[in-house]
Amino acid sequence: MKSTSEHELVERCRQGDDTAFRELVDEYKGMVFALVARSVPNRGRAEELAQEVFLKVHKGLPYFRGEAKLSTWIYRIVVNALSQERPELATVSLDDVPEGEDRERRQPGADDRAFGDVVLRDRLQKAIERLPIQYQVLINGHYMKGMRYEELAAALDLPMGTVKTHLHRAKRRLRHLLETEYR
Amino acid sequence: MRCHELEPLIEAIADGTFEPAPEDRAHLSSCAACSARLAQAQGIEQWLTSRDAPQPPASFTVSVMARLGQEKWKTERVVDIGFNLAIAAGVLVILAGGAGLAWSLGFFTIEIDVGALLDAATAQVEGRVMNQLQTVAIAAVLLTMALVLWWWAETATD
Repeated sequence: MKSTSEHELVERCRQGDDTAFRELVDEYKGMVFALVARSVPNRGRAEELAQEVFLKVHKGLPYFRGEAKLSTWIYRIVVNALSQERPELATVSLDDVPEGEDRERRQPGADDRAFGDVVLRDRLQKAIERLPIQYQVLINGHYMKGMRYEELAAALDLPMGTVKTHLHRAKRRLRHLLETEYR
Repeated sequence: MRCHELEPLIEAIADGTFEPAPEDRAHLSSCAACSARLAQAQGIEQWLTSRDAPQPPASFTVSVMARLGQEKWKTERVVDIGFNLAIAAGVLVILAGGAGLAWSLGFFTIEIDVGALLDAATAQVEGRVMNQLQTVAIAAVLLTMALVLWWWAETATD
């Protein structure tokens, strides 16, 4: 969405125009739902949580200063909502040695290299759900169309240079989880 | 080049953001463990790139707008309650002011036999009501119906 039309849409929403807010929901529901549903396995709860994100967006629009892109601001709200939903994964420091990191790791076999198998895909999905929330949204946001490094950095309040580092760490932790717990 | 030196670079090599040096390549081709890890990281990369984004249900926007309507209604109700409380407080202040004024004017110190006065007034009212009992009954029924209708309208809009 162009910044001018985005600005107009936000202004119309602020003036209480329900049609404008409906347009906003239609524009961003794909991104919000995908991010939430990839971290919350229960589809019903994921839908409910994604709806709550938009209620928070509506409530927060009067305070949106437009310094960041609207998508970045919404992305940040999603991160907060997921952190509240799964607090046990929100408080994990990204620099800590993850649980099981020092466990003996199995050397990946030929099976692990072919992720076409449904069981292996399921293992990967379960491993992703075990990652700290910031890693989850980093991976899910990065591999979703339209999220650039700059936006991820702004949304996660990370320096631009460390986004790539954290992304690699997140994927490494994912690989370690597969080697240790989801064999 | 040893395995533990290459380990932190596996993901960057797998997603193409790091170009391995010749010695890295040499290690990867000779070490089964590291080449298996790279293959697994490439598999993860491929899976992450290819998986489909979960789609929201068709009714998603409608559901959000319905919840938004409920939220607005709750907010308005809070405003309504606040307004009613403010009115009640205002009435209390006026009554208290009136009482204070009456007290300061010395009305409360006038000696009256209140009991006798009330008895006389009650007897008069009873006499008049008994004379027009039918009219009073109809008025009471109409008033009750009005109150029931008001109560029904209030609960129906909840």
